[in-house]
This record gives sequence, C-alpha cells and structure tokens, in this order.
Amino acid sequence: MLRAIMLKEWLKLRWVWTAALLVHLGGLLYLLLALRHQFQVEHSEMIWYWAFELRRLLYTQIQFLPALTGAVLAVAQFGPEMLGGRFRLSLHLPVRGDLLVWSWVGFGALLGGLLALLDGVGLYWIVGRWFPHEAAVSAVLTALPWLLGGWVAYFGTTLALLEPARARRLVYAGLTFALLALLYQARGYQEYDRILSALTALALLFLPAVILPAHRYRHRS
Amino acid sequence: MTARLARWSLLILTVLLSAIWLPPAWDLLFGDRFGKTQLFYSPVIERFVYTELVGEGHQFIYRDLDGRDYSREDFEALIPFIYYKNMELWGRLPLTLGGQTFDKAAIVAERQVMELKPDELPGHAPRIPLFPLLESNPPRAGLSFPEDILRPAARLEFIDSDSNRLDPVRTDVFTQALSAAGFRFPVRAAFGRVSILKPFDAGYFLLDDAGALFHLRRRDGAPVVAAVPLPEGLRVRYIQVAENKRRELLGFLLAEDDRLYLMRERDYGLIPLELPGYRPDRMAFKLIFDPLQRTAIYSDRETVRAVVMDRDYHPLDQYARRMAMADPRPVDRLWEMLAPFSLELHDPDRRYLALDLRVHGPAALIGVALSLLLALEVLRLRGLRPAQARMDLLLVALTGLHGLLALILIPPERGREG
Repeated sequence: MLRAIMLKEWLKLRWVWTAALLVHLGGLLYLLLALRHQFQVEHSEMIWYWAFELRRLLYTQIQFLPALTGAVLAVAQFGPEMLGGRFRLSLHLPVRGDLLVWSWVGFGALLGGLLALLDGVGLYWIVGRWFPHEAAVSAVLTALPWLLGGWVAYFGTTLALLEPARARRLVYAGLTFALLALLYQARGYQEYDRILSALTALALLFLPAVILPAHRYRHRS
Repeated sequence: MTARLARWSLLILTVLLSAIWLPPAWDLLFGDRFGKTQLFYSPVIERFVYTELVGEGHQFIYRDLDGRDYSREDFEALIPFIYYKNMELWGRLPLTLGGQTFDKAAIVAERQVMELKPDELPGHAPRIPLFPLLESNPPRAGLSFPEDILRPAARLEFIDSDSNRLDPVRTDVFTQALSAAGFRFPVRAAFGRVSILKPFDAGYFLLDDAGALFHLRRRDGAPVVAAVPLPEGLRVRYIQVAENKRRELLGFLLAEDDRLYLMRERDYGLIPLELPGYRPDRMAFKLIFDPLQRTAIYSDRETVRAVVMDRDYHPLDQYARRMAMADPRPVDRLWEMLAPFSLELHDPDRRYLALDLRVHGPAALIGVALSLLLALEVLRLRGLRPAQARMDLLLVALTGLHGLLALILIPPERGREG
C-alpha cells in the first residue's frame, strides 16, 4: 500500500518537481554567471573586501527559491486532493489517516529536500570557485535559513490547503508567514548561526501539526 | 492522540511566534525616537555637561550636572574643542582656556576620537577569518588592498585573490618570519583594521598558541614582525587597531578580565584606563582627545558614565547619569503588564540574531489574569466547560497574552478535545 501511495505522489509531483529542478539549476546557473561577471568587471580583492568586511551577500539570487518551491510542491501535491472530494476518498484507504498524511508529506519533503541539497552543494561549489573554502562554508551556513524556508513554506501551504475551514486556512497562512519572516532577517553572513537549531525545532513542529487538518476534515465529512 | 499532538504543536508554534513578533509590532505602533544622552566634559566651566531628548519631536535639553540649562549655542560653546567649526563660524577662535590660547590648527592637531563597540568584540559577530595584509609602505599616495588575503591558521597562509589559490612562496616567507620571532603556531587570533581609508596601515596583531602577542606588517612586500611585550598575567581578549595621524596610539587592548588599555605606538607600552563600571560586552565606549584632556564616555542602555583624564590619562573627575531613554514609558509598562515574556530577536550589542527570553515583572500577572478571563469566555463561546480544557487554561496561565492568542487562533474542537 505504501508503495502505491508513493507512486501516486510521484505521479502527481513528477512534472512539477522536474520543472522545479530545472528552475533551481537555472537559479544556480544564474548565480554562477552573476559571480563570474562580478569578478570580470571588478577587482577580485575588492569583491573579497565587500564579502568579508562589508558583509555583502553575493548569492541572494537564490534566497527565496526554496520557499517558492516548497509552496509550489505543496500546491501540486495537495491542490488536486482538495478538488471534488478526492481527499475524502483518500482518507477511506485502509491506512491510518495520520500515517497516510505523513507518508504524503514525507514524500513531498523528501523531494523538496533533494532540491535543498542541490542548492547547498551548488552554492558551496559556485562560491568556492572564486572565494576561499571558508567563504564557501560561510555561504552555505548563511543560506541554511533560506533552505529551512522551503520546509516551512511546504508544510505551511500543505496545512492551509488541507484545512477545511477558510478562517483556519488564514490562520495557518499567517503562522507560516510569521515563521518564514523569521528566516529572512539577516543583514550579513552567518547571523543565524546561534539560533538556527532553535528555528529548526520550531519548523519541525509543522510535522505533527500537519495531521490536524486531515483530522478536522474527516470529522467534518 | 495524534490530533491532540498536532494541535499542541500549533499552539506552541503560535505562542513562540507571538512572543517573537508582538514586541516589534508593539514597537512599530508606539516606538518613539530617542537616543542616548550625550555626555561631555566642559573645559570652560570644568563640569560635565549633557544633552538629551526628553520628549517627542525636538525636546532637547542642554544642561550641566548642577542642573543649569543652556541654549544650544551656549552649550556648544562650553565644549569648544568638540564644536570648533561652529566656534570658528561664530568668530570665537582662537579661544583662551587656562591661560593657553588655541586656534583651529592647534585644536585639529590634538583632536581624536577612538571607539570600541560591543558588536565588534570576538564572539559578538560572525567573522570569516581571512584578512588582507596591506602594504604599509605604499609606493604611491593612499593605501590599496593587496591581491592576496591572509589566512592565519596552522601557518600564515596567503591566498591569491585572482586565482583563488594558495601562494606557497609568500606563505613560507611570512610563516618563517613569524616562527623566527618566536611565534608558536597555530594563530589563535588576529586583530587589525581592514580599511584603506586610514592615514597608514598598522598591520595585524597576532596572538600565538601560548597567548603571546606579535605585531605583523608587510613592508615593501616583506614581513616585519615584532614581539609585543605584555605585562605579567595579562591575557589579551581583543585589540581594536585605530590608526590615527597623531601617531600617539595604535589602539585599544581589552584584557580577558575586561580591563581596557591604550597601546602606545612607539614602544607598544600599555596605558591602563580607570573606568569604573565598564562592561565591554554591553557598553559602547568612546575616548575623546582634545588639547587639554581625554574624556572616556561609556554607556549601556540605562546609564552613561564619563571619566575625564589629564593628558597622561590620570583621572580628574567622573560622573554617571541614568539616561532619559531608560525611563519606561507608560506604553512600555502596559506591554510588560499585558504579556509575561517576550523573545528578542535582535541584540543591539551583537550581530548574531538571538532569541533572548525577557521575562516581564510581577505586573504581568494582571495580564495573565485578564488573559485567563478572556480564555474562559472563548471556551464558553465554543461550548466548552473549563474542565474540558484544563491544559489550554494552563497554557494561558503560563504564557498570558501569547497563550490566549494561540487559544483563539487554534481553539479546541467542540466536544472532541480538551
């Protein structure tokens, strides 16, 4: 049964995920070209000065990409479920409702996680082409809150989509925005180093929370 | 059970987000323009004088420590070395003080301001440990950044910025020069001022593995290393290099025990500063030089202190004053009454973001009681008896307004949960 569920999720997500993969590769390619251009038109030592001393982030082109992808994956995965009562049908499968929802979001989060991994590795490689290793590591550490934003956007959108009551949807959207906004407060590199674990713990609260709309949906039906 | 876990996850998330975002929202609604009290020593009346904003708009006061008020122009004339440009504009230069006459050139030659802010201290801001070592004897006017960068680690590595590759020759030359001077690798810390907008380059001070201090410069491309003698028992926490054209001092040295010293340029001699109540992690520090005195001014967000010293840094007088900005406004008290705690994201003394818990005083019990009453009403409207929502009420009792907000946004299901 679980394999069948995964297959169904893959069939729902494959084109959107492939498109997202292309967008992420495009974003990284753009970052590569932008940095290359920067080093062609400016003195390398000045760019290093901007990056290290003035704390200018030279890779913000990709900062909203994970959050955007998270939201798009959730819409692709759960938008169709909310049409024509398909969600109700799914809840009648011989699998516990909570396990069913967790398997869905687990699969979606895995696909989103692969894109986040691509972003992290790509960022390290691109920054490392023109900057010393320390700067490449710093870039990945700086980008971690943005990658966490992908998780938050995915789960927040999922919560809002699965929720049967409109007012509650707004509440979930508000909570998602409030948490997302927390992840984009930095003015320079690595400013989240001391609170990233706390914010990750906060974002992990979405994992049990995502059961609630299904529970409410089932009991309203 | 999982539904209850799900709901409580959302309740906790709501409480925490409320504790983080409500304080800045409150500040957005009721924030006032205020600044720190500006405290100076007047060589004219030989008293401390200050100016501060005491109300909305431009309600500035200009006052001396005896409570005498001045007009703005009179106030600025009390500290003529600070406002020497205005003094010149008003035709009041040269001025005579203590039998000495000072014209503009004499004032400019003696003026200097050195600052040390908490967010510059190690551990208060993230730092990529790579530093450009400037040529201290440049062949043309002005300083310029070198085409390589210094990585102080197990060796003194230089990375070429064009190729992004290690320069093995320069690495060996500088590493050996340091070793020959007695430096024990790895480098524990490097202190310098990364800028080309300064009158000269003083290079870097490097702390070795044994806690010994060395001064490194690049002169005509070659390393110049000097061991810096430290008083017995002094352990360096931080050095703020401050190149100035007066060339008397190289900067501040902050010891591990939070004592602050000035470092002389000519012999690296350390001049201890007597600064009662100085806490470098929370206080912005400023040292103002003028032709007659040196004035140290340091403040956190409550108290500003000043010590005036003679030209040899012996204290002459000191003063401390609680600033107007430290007095809580009625809206601040109201907020502290409404919510029992908040989580502060930004610490003005650090560049790192934080989630600092700030617990409000006993007045918050009023807000908690109000929140509980409103929570009971919310439950009544949902058709629930208090006994059915004991945990929700406990959440409100512990978190006050934040818990009430969570209860309103994520209410218990009618008849299914409690």
